[in-house]
Amino acid sequence: MTQTAAPLMSEFEADAVVSGLDAVADDVVLLTLTPSDEAHLPAWTPGAHLDLILDGADGEVVRQYSLCGSPAERDRYQVAVLRTPDSRGGSEAVHRLAEGDRLRIRGPRNHFPLVTSPRYVFVAGGIGITPMIPMIEEADAAGADWELHYGGRTSQSMAFRDLLAKYGDRVHLVPQDQAGLLDLQAVLGTPAPDTLVYCCGPEPLLKAVEERCRDWPSNSLHLERFTPKERTDDGEDTAFEVVLQRSGVTVQVEPGVTVFDAMRGAGVSVLGSCLEGICGTCEQGVLEGDVDHRDSVLDEEEQAANECMMVCVSRSLGPRLVLDA
Amino acid sequence: MSIPRHAWYPVAASEEVGRSPIARRLVDLPVVLYRSTTGEPVALEDRCAHRPVRLSDGVLDGDLIRSTYTGFAYDPTGACVSVPTQEQVPYGAAVRSFPVRDDGSFVWVWAGEAGLAGLRTPPDTSLLRTDGWTTFGGVLDTAAGIGLLHDNFCDITHVAQLDRAIAPPALTAGPPPPLEVEVSETTVRFWRRFDAAPVASWNAQVLELPEDAEHEQVEEGEFVGPGYWVDRWTVDVKGHDDRDGQHVFVFSHALTPISATRTRHLWRVSRNFASSAAADGTLKPLFESYYARVGEVLEQMQTILDEEGPRPEVAVAADAAVTHVRRIMQRMVADELGG
Repeated sequence: MTQTAAPLMSEFEADAVVSGLDAVADDVVLLTLTPSDEAHLPAWTPGAHLDLILDGADGEVVRQYSLCGSPAERDRYQVAVLRTPDSRGGSEAVHRLAEGDRLRIRGPRNHFPLVTSPRYVFVAGGIGITPMIPMIEEADAAGADWELHYGGRTSQSMAFRDLLAKYGDRVHLVPQDQAGLLDLQAVLGTPAPDTLVYCCGPEPLLKAVEERCRDWPSNSLHLERFTPKERTDDGEDTAFEVVLQRSGVTVQVEPGVTVFDAMRGAGVSVLGSCLEGICGTCEQGVLEGDVDHRDSVLDEEEQAANECMMVCVSRSLGPRLVLDA
Repeated sequence: MSIPRHAWYPVAASEEVGRSPIARRLVDLPVVLYRSTTGEPVALEDRCAHRPVRLSDGVLDGDLIRSTYTGFAYDPTGACVSVPTQEQVPYGAAVRSFPVRDDGSFVWVWAGEAGLAGLRTPPDTSLLRTDGWTTFGGVLDTAAGIGLLHDNFCDITHVAQLDRAIAPPALTAGPPPPLEVEVSETTVRFWRRFDAAPVASWNAQVLELPEDAEHEQVEEGEFVGPGYWVDRWTVDVKGHDDRDGQHVFVFSHALTPISATRTRHLWRVSRNFASSAAADGTLKPLFESYYARVGEVLEQMQTILDEEGPRPEVAVAADAAVTHVRRIMQRMVADELGG
């Protein structure tokens, strides 16, 4: 094969020092990261997340965490991490960190951006509060009307209660042991005009909120998942052809091989991070063909629009896809 | 393309703003700039609330600006504080005031929702004020949209096509080495390392090195935000005794969208060597004429787009940086528009 002139793509990466490590709730640690040299940290906007490259039990583990500080602070990044015993070792590794430790960071990227609106309803479950902190700061600064409904197991398990106190009665804290589950019927039962709903939390909450928002105007609901959405179909993968328009390369994607791997195999540099369809890093523009969307980033409308795809998991419904790559 | 408003734009060089009001335009908004008696920059909508006249045609009275036609006077927050015909200032009489910052090189104005300005910071321009760097520059009013300027800075391979005299020979020596592109949510950076090759004769002259001497060279570019772009060209000199080291040109482009099809372009060329006025004398005319030529081509592009409309473009692999910069700008606009 002739050498392609394809650019080598990468995301911003830097060595960071753990400059702060604060317990902000039961099993939740707030990690403050500053660059270890004079590197400028790229600016970010609310909803962005960062990769932490950690030493897990079985080697390197890459985990994504929402940035929860303020975009106005340009010399540090902050993430809050819940220790989850059943996780794949990422949160344990974060909780093992000590002040002064070094780790690699990558990103930030944002697939959960705060879209301008006169009114917002924020719904957070547990550690899903993290992206909401900068979103609330932004909505408040813009003079928007907003409310936060924040559920957690117990009051002590809910991070950032102190920080949220200054917003007064816009914030509704719902610790389950005292007040039960979030009353989604009351919060989302009646579609409101000119209102966007932002939700982050565990899968059952996301599903329930998706269900409640079926009658809302399209594009009202924005949500972010921590874990891949369960796949409903489980058919056999078929082979198809992918044309990489800009690079002038055509590759065959066999069953069991991802579009991502096929592209890299052909020498076309494509970004990737989670490789399970949740972080959005590998998004590619679609010029022709029907995508079999298997990611957890795009909502139903975005998937139906067929304008882009996450090549780490999604495939083709037909024999051929043409990508802007 | 449409233009992000939630961004800081470098509407003027710091030295342009003083105790005489000046007029600028920012995404079709008229802006008057001046300094208060304590030297703080003030940016107000350049249109009197009483009659359609420019405040920039007015006069300063302490920290106030007074229209020389209506006589309405406004304070630095935009509030009208006196009118000539009555004691009482009409309720709510005010002009819009814009968040404004002066970093010592540029005066930055925030065009979007004022409350959000405090959550974003203007790009870092400190290199322009750092010891050891010598800077000259100029200003162009280019009748082309800001997107065309960004596209241009994303890909410098056109330099060799446009101006053989200024172009480093490394650009045309053979197939270019692969471009490396690094992205984040808000930034795009790219670089390319060239094998040892001669530098352009003007460059050899200011480096005080023989024209046929070969050096490794690095091209870099960085989209810092919608209003700022930084390119670098590094010549790594080895084996020339006291001339050895990294000789770097930094090209900073401060961009303000005047309208969808017009851009104010403040350019700065900085170098960490050859600080003499004689070197300025060699370099300045070269870059003035080069940027003027680029401006002419960009204006032609805008004319073609205006007259014939946009068309799908054939893209090449090396357009990876262009693609990402466009994506960042488009997403900023989409998020601002909502819906």
